[in-house]
Amino acid sequence: MSQLRISGGAVYDPANGVDGDVRDICIADGRIVASLPDGAPRLDARGMVVMPGGIDMHAHIASSSVNQGRRLLPEEHTVDAAPAPALVEGEARSGTGGTIPSTFTTGYRYAGLGYTTVFDAAVAAAGARDTHAQLDDTPVIDAGFFVLMGNDAYLLRQIAAGERDRARDYAAWLLGATGAYAIKVVNPGGVEGWKRNVREVQSLDDPAPANGVTPRAILETLADAAHVLHLPHPVHIHCNNLGLPGNVATTLESMRALTGRPAHFTHLQFHAYAGEKGKAWASGATQIAEYVNAHPEVTGDVGQVMFGDATTVTADGAVEYLLHASSGRKWVNVDVELETGCGIVPYAYRDRAAIASLQWVVGLELFLLSTDPWRMALSTDHPNGGTFMSYPELIRLLMDRAYRDERLKGINQKLLAGTALADGLAREYTLGEIAIITRAGPARQLGLVRKGHLGVGADADLTIYSRNANIAEMFATPRYVLKDGVLVVEEGQLRRAPTGRRLHVRPGYDDAVTRDLERWFDRYGTVSFANYPVAGVRDTPIQASAISR
Amino acid sequence: MTNEVITAQHVTCLGCGCACDDLDIVVRDGRITEARRACALGMEWFGDGVVPMEIRSAGQSVPLDRALADAAAMLTGARRVLVYLAPDISCDAQRTAIAIADKLHAVVDSVSSTTVAAGILAAQRRGRVAATFTEVRNRADLLVYWAVDPAQRYPRFRERYGEGAESPLLAAGRSIIAVDVGNRRGPDSAAERVAFAGTDETRAIRALRAHVAGRALGDAAGDVMTRAVQLADRIASAHYPVIVYDAEPEEDEPAPARAESLTALAQELNARGRCSLCALRGGGNRGGAEAVLTWQTGYPMTVDFSRGVPRYRPDDTATTLLRRGDVDVLLCVGNPSAMRGVESGGVRRIVIGPRASATTPAADVAVDTGVAGIHAGGLAFRMDDVPLPLRPPLSGPLDPATVLASLAALVRA
Repeated sequence: MSQLRISGGAVYDPANGVDGDVRDICIADGRIVASLPDGAPRLDARGMVVMPGGIDMHAHIASSSVNQGRRLLPEEHTVDAAPAPALVEGEARSGTGGTIPSTFTTGYRYAGLGYTTVFDAAVAAAGARDTHAQLDDTPVIDAGFFVLMGNDAYLLRQIAAGERDRARDYAAWLLGATGAYAIKVVNPGGVEGWKRNVREVQSLDDPAPANGVTPRAILETLADAAHVLHLPHPVHIHCNNLGLPGNVATTLESMRALTGRPAHFTHLQFHAYAGEKGKAWASGATQIAEYVNAHPEVTGDVGQVMFGDATTVTADGAVEYLLHASSGRKWVNVDVELETGCGIVPYAYRDRAAIASLQWVVGLELFLLSTDPWRMALSTDHPNGGTFMSYPELIRLLMDRAYRDERLKGINQKLLAGTALADGLAREYTLGEIAIITRAGPARQLGLVRKGHLGVGADADLTIYSRNANIAEMFATPRYVLKDGVLVVEEGQLRRAPTGRRLHVRPGYDDAVTRDLERWFDRYGTVSFANYPVAGVRDTPIQASAISR
Repeated sequence: MTNEVITAQHVTCLGCGCACDDLDIVVRDGRITEARRACALGMEWFGDGVVPMEIRSAGQSVPLDRALADAAAMLTGARRVLVYLAPDISCDAQRTAIAIADKLHAVVDSVSSTTVAAGILAAQRRGRVAATFTEVRNRADLLVYWAVDPAQRYPRFRERYGEGAESPLLAAGRSIIAVDVGNRRGPDSAAERVAFAGTDETRAIRALRAHVAGRALGDAAGDVMTRAVQLADRIASAHYPVIVYDAEPEEDEPAPARAESLTALAQELNARGRCSLCALRGGGNRGGAEAVLTWQTGYPMTVDFSRGVPRYRPDDTATTLLRRGDVDVLLCVGNPSAMRGVESGGVRRIVIGPRASATTPAADVAVDTGVAGIHAGGLAFRMDDVPLPLRPPLSGPLDPATVLASLAALVRA
């Protein structure tokens, strides 16, 4: 029985009401336990900060689209070669970094930052097998993914026919067949519209893009499906009109459409712009924050833009065409299996650019104006707004007002007049609040009862930091990281790289849907129905009954 | 021996990149006797499923552990190793082969560097616009076969993904245009036909693109221009045109600019309408080698680990390295017939894959394995990058993924 006592650290475990108290954390066989014998091995954490392992609830790390992105960027990989870390156990692999690191490097770098659980937020069902294979080569982290449904032709057909129960059965089947964790919606109806060359979604009731099925109907159907199926995570929504001025109206309309239903709205920064097409952009963050603050059923993540290189990779193909046309950068589009899309454009956010500067401000406003950190998670929509390697810098911006204000002065001011941030936001996140937006909050939003906290029975995923006046440095180089009780980072160096768990669900459904699907695959598909489900997904599915809300 | 008859269903064929996964394979007494729904290529691919099962080292039959020990010693003592990802293995085997290359600080390459390098590099400069086959089947109201008749090398493409595959979503039907380039003809059955001389191809595509973009037409000669303009208008009038070309044409046809210029054209067509480009690829899971190399290293082909990190060396392909004598040990993983014609004189060779023992001259170490999808399971990619499971109808021969895992445990960096 492996045991370890983490002694004397200042513990930040907000799920259990612990806010910097000095106490011991006891670990046995990979889980947190109430106590250990006095002679148990001890790790001296005196003077250090102890938190649960980080949880990235929205990133793009392992999918057919991500791999298309990797392939597109040899120039980035060339300047960021990553030697194999010097592990004390097991064999390590070399790789490359850049905005989309190779799989092994992705696992190592997340672990090196103290992140132990990551979700890929956009996987085409037809490509799920590819995602599992890539995750098999992504060490250390526990990982899962959200499967794209908001433009799936079979689902749209059920909605059009008023067959919402059948749509829900399909969603349940698809989650199990792909080994996914949650339902993802990207630009509901709008991706189908892009394939049909209907490039704009006018409103939530616009029937044009998806041939009669409105974005509202798609949102309602999938939000209800997630709820009725008792999925651990509610429907995860990337709204219509991403990246367009004035889209705050669409975002609020989408939130109102689901009033009273649990729903997660992702990378809200990209959906919080006031202004209108052809005119000046402005921040709509205040409106979004006010709505979220007043509606406890809504959760979100920010999708902060960080200055520097990024790669935009999304199922939202139409957006990527616009970005390609406006930036002149290279562009990948793949229309996928009557299910979804894929668009990729490398991009750089420059602090001299007016819109990038506004985006930076909008994201920070969402953080600083949200009154409930439990419902607004930290993300950069890696690698869309910036890479996960920029999280420490983002945490510094949130915790250190002087630094933030100094940074604000140095960016393009053209669109910033009258923004809340320019007018002065004094708030500084505390360490406890950082622990919420990077750990406890995402765990609660994802329904991961054994993660994001350090109570008895939790997975022993922990990050231990040496205190540092420079918050970015502190968060960039954890002193120790434990995964399931195994020391993966020691003295700031990655030392072990165990295999992580696969997080997935397998809800029940009425089997009649599979008979209908078999006919559908015959009439429309190009893969045998029998070959579609992914067999042998590793680890036991997370049970709905195990979930407390 | 019994007369047991076993029929395996939904079997994926890797005879070409179509990766048809609707085959029923009938097995009698351990031999394949029928491959239902298979095309001629597929029949040839499956054959009777009988493969050699020899393990040889230094000309002698040896047990597997001896062969692997010899191979490991050769690899460990090498100055510079080339790991070659030949076709006919699953992604699972490719993953382990690349791990061995990483550990040995070797160079790793695949058939892609000889067959599709120009297209890969073009896509890295420009990107690409593509559609997976279910999109093509259901959305493509116009198929433009550019200098290719898939019937020859991708026999079931048209039946499964193209004009032979009906879709209720295409009520108005589907049009077919054959673009003949030199002696490379599109399908004879195409109702519409345009021809360009081989020497006019690049100019013609440039003119098409310029016309679509509303720019001056450039230097295309008068009649080439006229045909290009008509073709451009015809393509642009479709809802969802798909341009199909052969990304791996026979070696006798040098058209390195085709992939890039067609990509640029297809991208341009998306300014106002939609268009996708479909690149036909050969079989044996060659796309899988690119996918796995990309996720493990960031690069799709020709990766050099000699400095302990992956470096992209698209000019130093396997062929070049062998010709220059830059490597002293070759580890060929997969079907070694892909290396036929590649000079490897003076290089010690280890071959682990289907028919490894049949190479001439004989390899220093040869371990015969099964073929992906016939004897070995795992993951493979269709040419449109859709991943498929392999359901081997036969068992018996060694699984290359397992053999490679054993070898990986033996080699020392």
